[in-house]
Amino acid sequence: MSSNMSDKKWDSVLRSMDRREFIRTSVGAGLAMFAPRFASAQSGKPYKLGLLLPVTGTGANYADGAIKAVMNATAEINSRGGFLGKHLIEVNYRDTHTKPDVAAREARDVINRENVQTVVGTYSSACAMAIQEIIHEQKILHLAATSNSSKIVNENYTPYTYQFCPNSRMQSGSVVVAVAEMIKKNGWKSYATIGQDYEWGRQTQSGFVEALGKASSSVELKKELWFKLGETQFASYISALMAAKPDFVYGAIAGKDNRTFIQQAKAQGMFKRISYPGGLISVTELQQQRKSIPRGMIGLARAPFFAHLDQPLMQKYIKMHRAKHGEDAYPTDWAVMHYDAIYGLEQAINKAGSIATEAIKTALKGATIDTCRGRATFRDCNNQLNIPAGYVGAVKDHPDYPFPIYDLDTMIIVKAEDVWVPTCGDVQKLQKKRA
Amino acid sequence: MNLENSATQTTDTRRKPMGMLSVRVLALLFVVFLAAPAVLGEFWVEVATEILILGLFAMSFNLIYGYMGQISFGHAAFFGLGAYATAMLFREFTGGTEEISYLQFFVSLAAGIPLAAFGALLVGYFCIRLTGIYFAILTLAFGELLFFVVFSWYSFTGGDDGIQRLLPPPLFRDPVMYYYLCFVIVIAAMAVMWRIVHSPFGYLLRAMRDNQERTRFLGINTRIYMLINFVIAGSFAGLAGALWGPFTRSVAPTLLGWQESGIAVFMTLLGGSAFFAGPMVGSIIYTFLHAWVTGFTQYWPLTIGAIILIIVLFSPGGLLGAIDAWRRIRTRQGSSGVADNTLVKEEPDS
Amino acid sequence: MELDLNLVLSQLLAGVSRAMVLFLLASGLSLIFGVMNILNFAHATMWLLGGYITFSLYEGMGGEGPLLLMIAIIGGTIVMAALGALTERFLIRRMYDRELPEQLLLTFALLLIVGDIIKIIWGVEDRSVYLDIEALEVGGTFINPYYFVIIAVGIAVAAGLWWFLQKTRYGRIVRAAVYNRDMVSALGIRIPLIYMGVFALGVAIAGFAAGVFLPLMPMALGVDIDLIVQCFAVVVIGGFGSILGTFVGSLLVGVVYAFSILIWPDGALAVVFLIVVAVLMWRPWGLFGTELRY
Repeated sequence: MSSNMSDKKWDSVLRSMDRREFIRTSVGAGLAMFAPRFASAQSGKPYKLGLLLPVTGTGANYADGAIKAVMNATAEINSRGGFLGKHLIEVNYRDTHTKPDVAAREARDVINRENVQTVVGTYSSACAMAIQEIIHEQKILHLAATSNSSKIVNENYTPYTYQFCPNSRMQSGSVVVAVAEMIKKNGWKSYATIGQDYEWGRQTQSGFVEALGKASSSVELKKELWFKLGETQFASYISALMAAKPDFVYGAIAGKDNRTFIQQAKAQGMFKRISYPGGLISVTELQQQRKSIPRGMIGLARAPFFAHLDQPLMQKYIKMHRAKHGEDAYPTDWAVMHYDAIYGLEQAINKAGSIATEAIKTALKGATIDTCRGRATFRDCNNQLNIPAGYVGAVKDHPDYPFPIYDLDTMIIVKAEDVWVPTCGDVQKLQKKRA
Repeated sequence: MNLENSATQTTDTRRKPMGMLSVRVLALLFVVFLAAPAVLGEFWVEVATEILILGLFAMSFNLIYGYMGQISFGHAAFFGLGAYATAMLFREFTGGTEEISYLQFFVSLAAGIPLAAFGALLVGYFCIRLTGIYFAILTLAFGELLFFVVFSWYSFTGGDDGIQRLLPPPLFRDPVMYYYLCFVIVIAAMAVMWRIVHSPFGYLLRAMRDNQERTRFLGINTRIYMLINFVIAGSFAGLAGALWGPFTRSVAPTLLGWQESGIAVFMTLLGGSAFFAGPMVGSIIYTFLHAWVTGFTQYWPLTIGAIILIIVLFSPGGLLGAIDAWRRIRTRQGSSGVADNTLVKEEPDS
Repeated sequence: MELDLNLVLSQLLAGVSRAMVLFLLASGLSLIFGVMNILNFAHATMWLLGGYITFSLYEGMGGEGPLLLMIAIIGGTIVMAALGALTERFLIRRMYDRELPEQLLLTFALLLIVGDIIKIIWGVEDRSVYLDIEALEVGGTFINPYYFVIIAVGIAVAAGLWWFLQKTRYGRIVRAAVYNRDMVSALGIRIPLIYMGVFALGVAIAGFAAGVFLPLMPMALGVDIDLIVQCFAVVVIGGFGSILGTFVGSLLVGVVYAFSILIWPDGALAVVFLIVVAVLMWRPWGLFGTELRY
């Protein structure tokens, strides 16, 4: 460990901020914290935001950072008087329990009871798709910033959804770019996959298999394993993988299960024998598993702060985050994407000069916005933001941080245009008609 | 009503007021629910729709619990099967667009019943051989089995994704109209249920609940009647599930899970399992509380857990049981409130 | 797929370790049900609570090394035993004369309450203990040596429970109470105290198990919901109240699950519940249970 900070101190930083923040947001959300009851007479009507993220179930681990980001960003905007300087933001938070039917119900709840104008969320792609049915019908904006099945912008497209996260197809495509190189270099012939048996896992795995088939047709898929969300014991899966003797394993695993899998696969020696490139290793994993994560492992991130330290918005956000949560706290990928979503919304409102939903929607259409990940444009045909599709790199300790990051010298950043569905014509073929 | 009175007199006179209580409660509820959309906003109309659908689900559960004396922890499987039957037919009819004719819509809704009934027949065939804790566990195991079938059969059911785009035809997209649709269907279903539980068949169920052995000695094949009742309960759960899909515009496998089954158990307990209207009253309490509490805290499980704990410890007869006991103390009928409470509690299971 | 000996062995080991995880959780459940006729829905949630408590003790003491972890596990077990005794004294005790559904609902309510209490105290992030475990190479395949710890602990708990119930005076009293509460109480033995002890023991085993699992899997909200249903499966297969039955049931489920993953991965969980259904049809009281409550 290159950091001179003791683990104990680090742990206490993490924990204290989690708990305090958590209780504050959970008790305060929708009530005192950001409610504009103190607003002065000249201010306009408040802008209501619905935040749907799970704090129950396998996604809770990531949602924590995302909730913080939304709260911090809205607090900052409110300190300037709110959107357009006069519409204070009111956040209405609901727990989706990582269950689609609950997500649909809560979406209706915030829309019809709290009259929110925009819904931000959620973690699970299946939940996001259930939410899309509601927001499309009610004509409410939906900012997706973690759920990233490509179906959200393709098969299940609605003009009200804007995607701030690289979708699963783009993510798998970026891994393929890196893996195809490794296949050539190492002479790999076969591989196996293991994935979470749900929407995102399935899309990520099939995206990878399809793209790899095109990139290097010689490599053979020997085995695919699926496990139920929340699996606690991977021993039998790991030995089944090792028995298939592939040259590498591709994992489509996120959340708590990812941590369990890496922990158990390492202790069972899988990484000694089989390469495991391109599994999701976000800043959350790098922080939480800073001791155990194998150095040199090739991981995939969605929006790692360390890749964009040159961006003014990212610098500003990191500064704000550290001021709020402690010097050693850095925003996770999920936090960065949610932060971008809130400021993306603000830029659209500024452009539209109004907080009317249709005006914002028109302003967002094809818009170019500034994000922590650089300037990016929404794709016309499906509202996918063209931020980098994926960051593939090797885990390496870094003197500036109390946890490892990617090796910045060898990290590959894949451009969205290189890996998303090539033409808008193809996208439209996938999109089903909506009423 | 006559039927209920005469029959209850022969078994236990103290049970007489319960039917009356249910009738009064039902009459009151009918008026309240009929008029509700006139005063409620869109959100609360949707909550009321949820109350009706889940109330029907809980009432179907109570056919097994309150009337037959067995507790099922897998009842949501039939709710889910109904929802999936509707959703999959919906998907076929619309073929990826969102256009569905009124006829196709009602056909899809109706499809929920036979599939759930078929599922209940298969599951019930095995389950009715057991009672008590074994019945509870076997229904739980079957429920989980069906959950995993729907969950794992990705190509057919959509797996964890569930099925989206269940947009009803234009008229019923309006929450108030969908509410009245549910209102009419649920009232009709409740009328049928009322007929069933007050028919000789219904009394037979209660006889089996109170003493299965003695009922068998009368030369009655208790298993057949238990199976019939299980299938009837499953069918009503299927109907409730069928209404649920187009209501939330999507279905997901969690609808079949054991936690969903737990909701029916909670509602029945909250309202009072010894009363026909009990589960519906429970649904009102549960759903309303849920909507109200989630508005300001995410600690819904803690809230409902504490309420259940208090009910189980202090008022095991549920809300209607408490009202009933209180009325009796006031009118000095029966022995005492405490004793009555025990009686109500003992009714569903013995 | 070729089933070579190495694969069969490593899969068997994986299955047995999975079985011991289930056994450690289910044995307390089975003990409590066997003696007190209470089916505890909240058992896995108490297990989870034990894991969080052990984690906090471990971190509080500095969070380094297996020795401290062992001390933390002992501490966690004691805390859970105390919590178990309190739960019995103030909640479960009121339910003995009640009907089965009410007992189930009470423990279901406990599951919801304890789950949220964990969320309030520890927040939503996972908790895990990192021990630097190096994989063992055995005959061309790698094995996680911690599985041997889990297996040893599982067997030790099984043997300990068997010894306690069969060979000690208290164990005999407990067994006698299963068959005839009135007679035992007529002999001047205080049944409530026995029940309190059994419930505390059951919960303590769960707390102990959670501590032992910490280096293997993270403690996270919602894990309990998945595990409790599998525990029911194990207990039903083995027979309520039979420790031997629970042990055999765990082995059956663990090993069958491990091999299902090789042969029919998508159906692995369905297979477990198929076994449950089959056992319940054939012998509702389980492989080793007695026909008590049937």
